[in-house]
Amino acid sequence: MQRIITKALVLSALCVLLISGTAVAKTLKIGTLSPITGPYAADGNDIKNGAVIAAEIFQQKGLLKGFDKIEVVSEDSACDPRQAVAAANKLLSQGVAFVDGAYCSSATIPSSEVLNEGPIPMITPASTNPDVTLRGLKYMWRMCGIDAHQSKSAVEFMAKVLKAKTVFIIDDKTTYSQHLAEYVAEAAKAAGIQVLAHDHVNEGDMDFSAVLTKIKQANPDVFYMSLQNSAAGIPFIKQLRQAGVKAQVLSQDAVYHPQFIEKAHDAAQGVYFTFGFIDDTTEMYKTFLKAYTAKVGGQPGGYAFYSFDAAWTMLTAVSKAGSTDPEKIRAEMMKMDMPGVTKRIKFDQNGDSGSNYIIQVVKGDKFVNYYDPSTGKFY
Amino acid sequence: MDFFLQQCINGLTLGGFYALIALGYTMVFGVIQLINFAHGEFFAAGGYMGVILLSFCASMGFLETHPLLCLGGSMLLAMGYCAMLAMAVEKIAYMPLRRASRLSMLLSALGMSIFLQNGLMLTQGVYSKSYPTVFTNKVLHLGNVSISYMQIMTLALTAGLLVGLNALVFRTRIGTAMRATAQDKVMSALVGINANRVISMTFAIGAGLAAAAGIMVGMYYGTVRYDMGFVPGIKAFAAAVLGGIGNITGAMLGGLIIGLVEIFAAAYISGEYKDVFAFIILIAMLYFRPTGIMGENVDDTRV
Repeated sequence: MQRIITKALVLSALCVLLISGTAVAKTLKIGTLSPITGPYAADGNDIKNGAVIAAEIFQQKGLLKGFDKIEVVSEDSACDPRQAVAAANKLLSQGVAFVDGAYCSSATIPSSEVLNEGPIPMITPASTNPDVTLRGLKYMWRMCGIDAHQSKSAVEFMAKVLKAKTVFIIDDKTTYSQHLAEYVAEAAKAAGIQVLAHDHVNEGDMDFSAVLTKIKQANPDVFYMSLQNSAAGIPFIKQLRQAGVKAQVLSQDAVYHPQFIEKAHDAAQGVYFTFGFIDDTTEMYKTFLKAYTAKVGGQPGGYAFYSFDAAWTMLTAVSKAGSTDPEKIRAEMMKMDMPGVTKRIKFDQNGDSGSNYIIQVVKGDKFVNYYDPSTGKFY
Repeated sequence: MDFFLQQCINGLTLGGFYALIALGYTMVFGVIQLINFAHGEFFAAGGYMGVILLSFCASMGFLETHPLLCLGGSMLLAMGYCAMLAMAVEKIAYMPLRRASRLSMLLSALGMSIFLQNGLMLTQGVYSKSYPTVFTNKVLHLGNVSISYMQIMTLALTAGLLVGLNALVFRTRIGTAMRATAQDKVMSALVGINANRVISMTFAIGAGLAAAAGIMVGMYYGTVRYDMGFVPGIKAFAAAVLGGIGNITGAMLGGLIIGLVEIFAAAYISGEYKDVFAFIILIAMLYFRPTGIMGENVDDTRV
């Protein structure tokens, strides 16, 4: 009996030592929320990796103040409103300082409600639906652009460069894709482009033959492809070429991913995309790319850059505030004005960082900058 | 008119895929009265086997020199693989429960479906996989209607498989044994039919057809994804019920009808309603004729 008690005492003493050992090193927990499984996992993992790399470089450069190390907690939103809310609650209970995510607007919007009640600051690297920031949430920021601007750039490109008279629009009925398609339809009408049809497909469809036959018959100048993800874009563009549709194809930021070219190589050639301009000559860009290739390998998707910036900005705010108090983080965020990988980081009172959409085109194995609607110049 | 004909061809191609998958549901139901919810996963597994084998062919350079040989070989191997997979699933998940209540078997099937789908995700990754181009995208123009060679080939293969299955079930000894087991398990056992073997064969044949559909879907649509079995599985199940579950001809008809309805709903109403209409047809049929289209002569032809 005596022995057991001694053993128990020694063990508990060890446990206390271990616990206090970890408590001495102050850890900053940060969260990511993105679809890590399921069809949108390519972008979801980009977001996760972007944040992980941001945390690593931030530490290496000795920028972290008030904490000894950063721990990244990644939760899976699966691009599903219900799962995203559950994941947000999980992050909340883990006590993360802020959340970098989510990907689908339909997942970001409900999970942001949960996090703002926490409150835990949230910054989305990828959700472009206007409602993400326009609901008056106090702790919501956005690193990427807004669909209202994206659609404007898209229509300007159709009218001025492609000289389109007619457009056929497809969306796959998600919060993101449907709203963006509606903005494009509106802007196109205003610009004098006739919208031949605005049709829908279902998320997760494989067969697009019926809709493609319609497009072929309508014979539009431009086909606007508004889909939730490259996973849907790949089979769609392959079938579109097979069906012999001759229209120019314009798509948007969610379909923009190296996977799209890799998996639909020949069919992808000449497809135009609206995506935020990223200056690939800056020091920050090169640092990130090097770290990404070393850690993950391959070419990062567009949202890895935005996620890096989102996490980096938040980490800077936390470091400057010296605490994880949401109020102090918010004060620092609103004062923020610094260069990032994707843009100059500065927020308006809604928490938006501004849009800088340009047109890119698929050429060979990569996306090439093509046209800048804000200046009207080709690259 | 051209538009209509073109959509007919689209619908028949899609319907053919559904028919091939639906057969597996209907045959298994005929023999052991189980709705095998894991059946859609055999279809996905077939699609993946196809992409693995064809990519291997492509990397060896055989695909360009002997496209038909590669395709035929891959298809046979994938069908064989899925047949064995289905037999294993039957042995592991269904055979021990054969005397249990039907609900237990159904739950076991659902569990198996989740297990197989996640297994596919873990081993093959979450990203979609691209099929190598087996045939160039040559298109045959008949007036304004265009049929791609791919479509002709899938239609021909589907028709061939359906005819082959009919011959197998109605002309061969094993087919006779299957029909006998379906009609009366005890009686057929008394006349010396090995029920276990027949049930195994039924699973194998159904999964083989689903695997063939998987490869064709992969080639036709260009990509496969780990969760590709779910939605077509549900639709094919609907097709099997529509045609009268347990009835082979019914499943073929049901598949074609669901495919055509889906395409026409997308073509003439809107793409977003195509699934709605596919299931409205099913509900209407169940309301007015609960046994399905061919449900009446269920005892003569079911397997």
